[in-house]
Amino acid sequence: MTLWMHEARLLLRQRLAMIAVGLLAVLTAAALVAGMAEVGRQRAAIAAIVAAQAEDIGAIAAWVDKEKDAGSAAYYSFHPTWNAPSPLAFAALGMRDVSPYILRVRALGLEAQIYDGDTFNPELALPGRFDFAFVLVFLAPLFVIALCHDLTSGEREAGRWRTLAALPHGGAALWRRRTLLRLALLWAAIGVPFAVAAGISGVAAGAILVILGLVLGYLLFWAGLSALIGRLRWSSVANAASLAALWLVLVLVLPTLGHVVINRAIPVNQGAEIALAQREAVNHAWDIPREDTMRAFYASHPQWADSAPLGTAFHYKWYFAFHQVGDESLAGKVRTYRQGLETRDQTARSLGWVLPSVGVQALLTGMARTDLTAQLAYRDQIRDYHRRLREFYYGYMFRDRPFGKADFDHAPRFDAATG
Amino acid sequence: MNAATLIALDELRLMRRNRVAVIACVLLVLLTLVAVASSWAHQREIEDLRARHQHEAEQAFDAQPDRHPHRMVHYGTFIFRPLSALAAFDPGVDAFTGNSMFLEGHRQNTANFGDVNQSSLLVRFGQLTPAFVLQTVAPLLLIFLGYGAVARETERGTLRVLMMQGATRGAIVRGKLRALGTVALLVVLPAILGLVALAGTSGAASLPMAVIVLGYAAWLLLWVTAIVLVSTLVGRSRDALLALVAIWAVSVVLLPRVAPDIASAAVPLQNRLQTEVAIARDLRRLGDAHSPDDPHFAAFKRSVLRLYGVTRVEDLPVNYKGLLAVEGEKVTSALFERYSGESYAAQGSQNAIVGMVGAISPAIALRSLSMAAAGTDFAAHRSFLEQAEAYRYDLVQRLNRLQADGVTYANDTASDADADRRKRIAAGNWEKMPDFTYRAPDGATLAGRALPGLVVIAGWLMLAGALLAFATCRLGERR
Repeated sequence: MTLWMHEARLLLRQRLAMIAVGLLAVLTAAALVAGMAEVGRQRAAIAAIVAAQAEDIGAIAAWVDKEKDAGSAAYYSFHPTWNAPSPLAFAALGMRDVSPYILRVRALGLEAQIYDGDTFNPELALPGRFDFAFVLVFLAPLFVIALCHDLTSGEREAGRWRTLAALPHGGAALWRRRTLLRLALLWAAIGVPFAVAAGISGVAAGAILVILGLVLGYLLFWAGLSALIGRLRWSSVANAASLAALWLVLVLVLPTLGHVVINRAIPVNQGAEIALAQREAVNHAWDIPREDTMRAFYASHPQWADSAPLGTAFHYKWYFAFHQVGDESLAGKVRTYRQGLETRDQTARSLGWVLPSVGVQALLTGMARTDLTAQLAYRDQIRDYHRRLREFYYGYMFRDRPFGKADFDHAPRFDAATG
Repeated sequence: MNAATLIALDELRLMRRNRVAVIACVLLVLLTLVAVASSWAHQREIEDLRARHQHEAEQAFDAQPDRHPHRMVHYGTFIFRPLSALAAFDPGVDAFTGNSMFLEGHRQNTANFGDVNQSSLLVRFGQLTPAFVLQTVAPLLLIFLGYGAVARETERGTLRVLMMQGATRGAIVRGKLRALGTVALLVVLPAILGLVALAGTSGAASLPMAVIVLGYAAWLLLWVTAIVLVSTLVGRSRDALLALVAIWAVSVVLLPRVAPDIASAAVPLQNRLQTEVAIARDLRRLGDAHSPDDPHFAAFKRSVLRLYGVTRVEDLPVNYKGLLAVEGEKVTSALFERYSGESYAAQGSQNAIVGMVGAISPAIALRSLSMAAAGTDFAAHRSFLEQAEAYRYDLVQRLNRLQADGVTYANDTASDADADRRKRIAAGNWEKMPDFTYRAPDGATLAGRALPGLVVIAGWLMLAGALLAFATCRLGERR
């Protein structure tokens, strides 16, 4: 124990090392604050939906109530859905800045609505967010390198190495103690602010422990790399240079190269093709006999098949039916598109097994539910909600039931928890 | 041969003997070539795809059968943003903006299907483009090659030997600068050649290209100067390396990410739901086209009747429903323009804040210079969106006028069995609608937008040069 205390005292006396640890703690805290502020903004935007929506629906209800036409009600009312940030989202914002987390849908064709984005400034999104994941994945290794690159070479250059190597087992215990102490300090600089922020945000204790373990593992990887380079007995400067080069390759060059390779190797049907096909499918309905559309619709929705036949005048149930039939005709395209996205994502994840930087990023965004999987799950929730919304309005349209002001209150509400 | 040249040659010889340095240089050149090739292939692919989609969309529009014109307003049209000529060098925000837009009546849609939403999580690690290599990787290589340039001489005492042999301080520093500058030139050359080749095949304007070359040359020269400066100021090469890597990490990796956070906290952006609800609220205030007693539309009706000297809309020589559609679109579009203008302004001030941070991180200044000159920054995207909106408005109003002139009011309001047929107008009308043509900003505009970034980098270069001159005078005085 006294040996540990002694080493700790030695380390604490190194002004540069302590400045580095302090700086890392400050950067971590700043990233956590920035992440929490962003998540707070998103939560506030979601909380503001209720009032805005009440105002909007209230105005539509006021004039729909005059005609009591369920079709108009369905056509003009947009219903909000949202994807609330998970408690851990502040740590890894992932795709939440470029993918919509609020989307309003109406009972019309969903394929024309579900890919809509929200307003965001592309120039701000371009460099990526300054969040905890960034500090851990990009910056922490640089601090490990700064503190560990000259552990042995520094002693050699100071002329103390021979003496230390004469210790039992070549001083292995000494190097281990020194490395572990540095690691512990860096780990605390990252882990303590994180644990505090996670505690405030209500992250489950288990998840906090997993992430603290992840942080330790990632730091250990870089410390191990430093130790390996150290064994080559180069000068401190050569160690630092080669470690920084390794950092560049592992954190910047290989992931970007991987991105290029994955996008080339796994082509994804452009989403724009779905949009083009959707428009054709929907508008074509105006030029074919209306009965054809209804037959196709009733085939997939037999519960409304006994609805009154169409007259000569426009009826909204036909309009909604051809939107629905249009959506259904695209199911194959939609599935292929989604599979393409998932394959790309899975390939990138499996790259994480060989590239720790990618692995840590994937694990963090996965746990924070800010990755593509979460985005697709949100889309599934929207699909499910859209189905309930349609069925609600169909109940009025296909039975020619009047839709009054009070009926707006019966419309299904989006429930973020269950979809 | 003068002393500076001799020193430069000696430094270069030393670098050539350093196997790691040679390998690093070769790898960087290879990386640049891979970046040029992959970026070029990728952009070509995107360009072809967008051109094909654009063509399909136009054909589909023209091939529509006889229709009621208002059906065509809802049928709408798709437009695809063409890439700028230099996007293969620096794609900028292209992957983030979405590149297809659906244009229809009564609605202003967003650009959808950006690459960022169709790629894996790796997209957030950056994009492997020539611009990325030169902005991020090349300075680090120069640091590794040059950190010891002067510090090594000080450390080993060879500086005194050199000076005793008659080399002046200025000659030593100039020699080191020249050697590292030669390496920088070697590093930048493949990318510049790639740029020229790209421009040759895509017909880019020469002025923005010149600005890009100038900007990156200044950027690498700035690093060369800064590296020699730190190497001169710091006595030990180890400290020089750590200090330089720290400067690089802060200015190239950290600040560009922190600045957007500051900007988005300082200037909030309205989200789509808020905008849509606000537009709907304003529309209700302006007038409700559905309501016969609405003051705005009642006044409009009176003015139309007065203009044609009739008392009933049925007696108008034109279809009143068409006129109403024209008026309605005018009202909504004015609102769209106001709200999108506010959003653009907010994003513009966000970008201005980032630009201010760029004064302390020339990396940000270089990035905006590069994107602006390549025509892939927010300003270029905004000009696409504005052209799209102008085109949308024009197209919708042309169709609305077709409804006013080509469909009679009696037919338009009828709902008998045959009414649907009588409401339709000939398919030939769709072909007469103009296609969307994107007018790319010209070379002078692009170069002009890139100028502030160039000024910032030039300012930094001058500052670093002055500091180096100052440090040179004191070289070897201490200790």
